Amino acid sequence: MNTLHAIFIGPFAQMWDNPEFLLEVTIGGLLSGVLYSLVALGYVLIYKASGVFNYAQGTMVLFAALTFAGCLDLHAPIWLALVVTLIVMVGLAFGVERVVLRPLVNQEQIILFMATIGITYFLRGAGQIVWGADVRTLDIGLPKAPMIIGGVLINKFDLVSAVVAGSLVAVLAVFFQRTAVGRALRAVADDHQAALAVGIPLKTIWVIVWTTAGIVALVAGILWGTNLGVQFSIELVALKALPVLILGGFTSVPGAIVGGLIIGAGEKIAEVFWGPALGGAIEDWFAYMLALAFLLIRPQGLFGERIIERV
Amino acid sequence: MTPAKRIGEVLLHADDISLSFGGVRALTDISLEIREHEILAIIGPNGAGKTSMLNVINGFYHPQEGTITYKGATRRRMRPHQAAEQGIARTFQNVALFRGMTTLDNIMTGRLLRMRSNFLWQAVYYGTALKEELEHREHAERIIDFLEIEAIRKTPVGQLPYGLQKRVELGRALAMEPELLLLDEPMAGMNVEEKEDMCRFILDVNDEFGTTIALIEHDMGVVMDISDRVAVLDYGRKIADGPPDAVRANQDVIDAYLGVAHGA
Repeated sequence: MNTLHAIFIGPFAQMWDNPEFLLEVTIGGLLSGVLYSLVALGYVLIYKASGVFNYAQGTMVLFAALTFAGCLDLHAPIWLALVVTLIVMVGLAFGVERVVLRPLVNQEQIILFMATIGITYFLRGAGQIVWGADVRTLDIGLPKAPMIIGGVLINKFDLVSAVVAGSLVAVLAVFFQRTAVGRALRAVADDHQAALAVGIPLKTIWVIVWTTAGIVALVAGILWGTNLGVQFSIELVALKALPVLILGGFTSVPGAIVGGLIIGAGEKIAEVFWGPALGGAIEDWFAYMLALAFLLIRPQGLFGERIIERV
Repeated sequence: MTPAKRIGEVLLHADDISLSFGGVRALTDISLEIREHEILAIIGPNGAGKTSMLNVINGFYHPQEGTITYKGATRRRMRPHQAAEQGIARTFQNVALFRGMTTLDNIMTGRLLRMRSNFLWQAVYYGTALKEELEHREHAERIIDFLEIEAIRKTPVGQLPYGLQKRVELGRALAMEPELLLLDEPMAGMNVEEKEDMCRFILDVNDEFGTTIALIEHDMGVVMDISDRVAVLDYGRKIADGPPDAVRANQDVIDAYLGVAHGA
């Protein structure tokens, strides 16, 4: 009886009694959800343009953060570290196109997926060889103190990262929807053969997509790294992007954003209000349970293309 | 119509093309000429190798034997985007449009190669790109007017009926300002009215822009009406090539279509 009360009545009573606290938790969750969106966006970009699920996206986040933090530890100024990391990520995009994608053109998706697992191991190994396996702290002077707006406690860092991620998303949306390159990217995603017939060079497109995904990984890596320290467990955090994708749909940029927000807010609320009743650590599995429920009810996600089969 | 007058030099010739997939021979020793400004129809029963021939011409397939000479340059392998750069545009048997994009966007993809500023520059420097985008937009609008598809400008093409999709696909090919236009069954699955429209568009394109056209078609009435020359394929071989009337009277062609027992 007590358990039932603690699950079905207690949390709601608590929310009702203290709406400011609920608001605070929700905002905190939304802000950290933006980071999930950012990682998920990296997956969506590559999936949209090549139909490949890029398993290595999480490791790309780690790799970018490692390189950036490594440069800073060598006493490089921030702008230099940023430029060096960007060059490394662009180089990675060229390498992936040349060594992995080009020889595998026209292969089954599952084969390309396996290849991205290979890229994961390569990046993980390369990161360890070059920068070592130690946890690094990353401090580029982002504000960390909490502040109070309208009676609600907000973490300044969360706010800054939300703004950064939000502007990146806006830029990408314009890039995809309004420019000729964006149109070419969408064309390649729709139909490889037709894209070739109108003269779109697949290789160039792939390099652009992987570069963009690399930049997204870099931004995500810097923000996560500042928050948690640059360590190999960042990869696991990146796995949280999977439920975000299942919620939002693999092909939708807005889906990645909304999915990230829902999961960010959902898991914080669940943790704070239901944590005591269920013994805590809800944050670790909440996203996956939600994704599972979605797979049963709406497998294409909130914004994914509806699956239409003509028979 | 007196088509013979305007037909010019040989624009493309294929020599002794042979193509096989594993053990299956799709094309055997095919030689074919396409002359400037003409409308060439490639006909033949199903599986005769018509589409394979188009795929060889625009570089989707690379023949094991034989060469293609286009505008004086001879080569065995051509990549599809190179073919596109050199002015070969095409449509597909099963409509290969970018289904999620609007009619206008689909046609604009045809302009990509005509854009001066290169890809990366466009991404970085929005100003020039925007100005250029407007110029190309104008061109796209002219094509939309020409094909009478103003009403569906902003409709995602996946939602359009089949006949209109075929028209949009023609529009995308025209946006490339091609010298050689390859049409794979442009009228398949259309009703009489739609076919008449499509015929009119093909003849107008040929007439107004002087575009050379090679098309595959099954409707014999259409073929005899609009083409200057007809090439007939059967079992991967060319069995006839000439003016429509001569081809219609050709005994081999009649046999191929009516199905004469082989060896009888």
